[in-house]
Amino acid sequence: MIWLPVIGLILGVGIGFAVNVTIPVAYSSYLSIAILAALDTVFGGIRASLEKTFDGAVFLSGFFFNTLVAALLAYIGVQLGVDLYLAAVVAFGVRLFQNIAVIRRIAFNRMHTRRTRSARDSGNSTDAS
Amino acid sequence: MIATRTKLTLSLTVVAMVLGFMISVQYKQQASARLAPATMARDTDEQKMMAQLDALKKANADAQKELADLTSKLSVYEKQSAGSDGSLKQMQQMLQDERILAGLTAVEGPGVSVTLMDGVAKGGDVSQYLTHDWDIRSVINELFTAGAEAVAINGYRVVATSGVFCTGPVVRVNDHRIGAPFVIQAIGDPQTLKSALTQQGGVLDLLRQRGVNVSDPQIQQVIKMPPFTAGPTAGGQSSDDGEG
Repeated sequence: MIWLPVIGLILGVGIGFAVNVTIPVAYSSYLSIAILAALDTVFGGIRASLEKTFDGAVFLSGFFFNTLVAALLAYIGVQLGVDLYLAAVVAFGVRLFQNIAVIRRIAFNRMHTRRTRSARDSGNSTDAS
Repeated sequence: MIATRTKLTLSLTVVAMVLGFMISVQYKQQASARLAPATMARDTDEQKMMAQLDALKKANADAQKELADLTSKLSVYEKQSAGSDGSLKQMQQMLQDERILAGLTAVEGPGVSVTLMDGVAKGGDVSQYLTHDWDIRSVINELFTAGAEAVAINGYRVVATSGVFCTGPVVRVNDHRIGAPFVIQAIGDPQTLKSALTQQGGVLDLLRQRGVNVSDPQIQQVIKMPPFTAGPTAGGQSSDDGEG
């Protein structure tokens, strides 16, 4: 069950390599921004699932919406001569690192509670699922 | 709980697939851009001009081919028209000789070949170890003086209208840019040409004394030379004028 997303990722990469889809060079930067937004959303989703605040609708809509908006923002930035994609890069980059940090902390906490529980057998309910 | 879990896994899978697709597409793009940076010119103006240049080069090559075709046809007609008339034949022969000198026809025959290369600098003035345009010119002049009928540098025919000029690290011959080593070939009487080059205190001796890497002139029984071609820039005009 937990491997399904990983298999999906591999499948997506495989499709991307197999299908001969090319994006014009001019739009390549928008795609990279979109990828960053998507990465951010995925890590946000993992974090939310760990924090038990996951909402499928929010996650899915956030993924596609963020991706599109990031690309749109970059496009508008190019039209206006403002490097708006930098804003997107910074914002998503910061959030990405924050999410990863939270995920790491949660993972450490769980390991810690599991260890203490096995030692003292005092039930800490953080990782009950 | 199970429902949320399933939903989570499913949505994560969908999202991961889309993400993987985007990443692989972008990766492919970047990889191809890295492999062929020239073809991925960002500037559309640049691309347009590259296309124009390519078209011009192609047109030029086509025109050269047509010229060669016409020349060969012309020579066939001339042979036919020569017939049995003795004086006409003699004039044809003279014409042929002039054509060879003007570099309008491909030639083949015995001759010599010599290679000039930059020497290894051992202190002092570096420029004296380099092969300069005037070095090549003096070798060519020596060969023509010794009776060479046709001379070529790195496969480019040298004729009366040819120039050998220095442009930075390379040398321009008929506006073709060529670099060291310079293989100078000459068709003519091999012994005469060789002795002209190897005489004591001659051109090659002087070059050797300066430290330029000069090979011994080698006699070759068959040297093939293409007809004169002008470079991609202007200059073809003068050769065409020489034809008439």
